Amino acid sequence: MNPEYFFILATLLFSIGIVGVVSRRNLFVIYMSVELMLSSINLVLATFSRLHGDMHGSVIVLIMIAAIAAEAALFLAMIVQLYRSKRSLDSNDCSQLIQTKEAL
Amino acid sequence: MGRRRVVLELSIFFILALFLSGGSLGMILFKQTLYSAFSFLLAMLALAGMFALLDNSFLFLAQIMVSVGAVIVLSLMVIVSLNAKDDNLPDEEHKFKWVIVSSILVIPFSLLMYKALQSTHLKFEETVEGYGSLRMMGHTLFTDWVLPFEIVSILLLAAMVGAIAIARKEKSQ
Repeated sequence: MNPEYFFILATLLFSIGIVGVVSRRNLFVIYMSVELMLSSINLVLATFSRLHGDMHGSVIVLIMIAAIAAEAALFLAMIVQLYRSKRSLDSNDCSQLIQTKEAL
Repeated sequence: MGRRRVVLELSIFFILALFLSGGSLGMILFKQTLYSAFSFLLAMLALAGMFALLDNSFLFLAQIMVSVGAVIVLSLMVIVSLNAKDDNLPDEEHKFKWVIVSSILVIPFSLLMYKALQSTHLKFEETVEGYGSLRMMGHTLFTDWVLPFEIVSILLLAAMVGAIAIARKEKSQ
């Protein structure tokens, strides 16, 4: 096994995540793209942990998974709140911070 | 014996990589949110398989239990309970044009990231005894990483309180 395969895959996933955040307007797709980018970094960390043969990288991945769970809870709560006030999942409808503040 | 193992590992890797990249591509290309979430679930399951391929059995379990079992199932439940109709979704008529343009713009960054990762020139070697086991993971977590672990517990508590405060219905309504 060559570690470069893992690096190519992680780079591909991170790029797909960036493309999803930049080009889509659905709030859920943006949220899942952010998660995809975080997960690709998890893959890089796990690969380096295996390459060096010690567990520190894996522990960072475990902590990252907990941080991803926290991020997901907050993001979903915000999506629910924005959907209640705007009746739309379009990110263009909440492009101004003052509207977001009114929604909260 | 060694050659057969390498071929087996490579084929497992490519099958998982197919699911991972196909799932994430489907996630950003589907119009319906529920289909996006299902392809993302597929991608996260394949990522758990990648952790198993990297001899990290505990991360495999944690990925399935937390990322797939909790986070994505929670997203699916929110998507289903919002029940957004077609006219509540954004109408992205130029979606594929935007995707292609932003992919071209992202290519230089991807090359930079790949070069930076690949410049380490490390190779996979035989691991030490017990690598990836729960015992070694717990030992590392509770000796060198105690403070981050405690901080993460506070972060989770704060996120829980924040999520409840944001999503709560106002009493006046």
